Amino acid sequence: MTAAPASTSAHRPTGAGAGRLLVAVYGVLALAATARGLYQVATKLDEAPVAYVLSLVAGIVYVVATFALARDHRALAWATVGFELLGVLTVGTLSMVDVGDFPDETVWSQLGAGYGYVPLVLPFVGLWWLRRTGRTAAVDTPPSGAPPAVG
Amino acid sequence: MFLPLALLVAALCLALAAWATWFVVADRAVVLRQLWGAAVVEGVLLLQAVVLAVVQARGDQDVDGWLLWGYVVTQLIVLPVAAAWAFAERTRWSSVVLLVAALTVAFLELRLLQIWGA
Repeated sequence: MTAAPASTSAHRPTGAGAGRLLVAVYGVLALAATARGLYQVATKLDEAPVAYVLSLVAGIVYVVATFALARDHRALAWATVGFELLGVLTVGTLSMVDVGDFPDETVWSQLGAGYGYVPLVLPFVGLWWLRRTGRTAAVDTPPSGAPPAVG
Repeated sequence: MFLPLALLVAALCLALAAWATWFVVADRAVVLRQLWGAAVVEGVLLLQAVVLAVVQARGDQDVDGWLLWGYVVTQLIVLPVAAAWAFAERTRWSSVVLLVAALTVAFLELRLLQIWGA
């Protein structure tokens, strides 16, 4: 697999400029959710198999989303960020209605309240960013301001 | 033995975060010297991992090993990856990335302290 960006030059790369920060925050969430999912599956899977497997799946999807945004794989980014939006809304709602099936222990539970609602806000920001960078560069503002001093 | 180390890590992280914040305000990208700063933090984190391993191996501390090492390993990953990611960007956003990374490591240190003390 090559590391070449997947999109055409008409699009702005998703991982540059402010996208740098988006990818970084996605990366932190990916790390947090995956580590937590691995811990749950490794130590107490029998307590709540559905929730803990879901927890790990959520983490892995965040990892893929981070990679897609960083490497400018737009289609993959749309799919994974969209999946997260569905996940946080579905699991978040279910966890508030029926605590039995979804203990308050996945990244999406209570709409991501345990992570400062970052899991709820991030997909919206991600989709917005994908839409914004997806427009042709000609009609958009330049990707960055004046180059800063280096050194 | 762990508390002074944890305070040192937290202080270094907050200093790095303040440095990055200054660069964000000044509209500057991350410079090499800041990466050396991150390397110093990483060095202390490695030392901390060794200390935790030794204390845990002696069996003095009743602690959830999986949880503890999950945090230790996560914390070790953050700065090197974030530093490389930030340094490739030559706008002020690279400084924001370093800021987020430093605060993340500081937060993980707080959680480590809670896990160790619990």
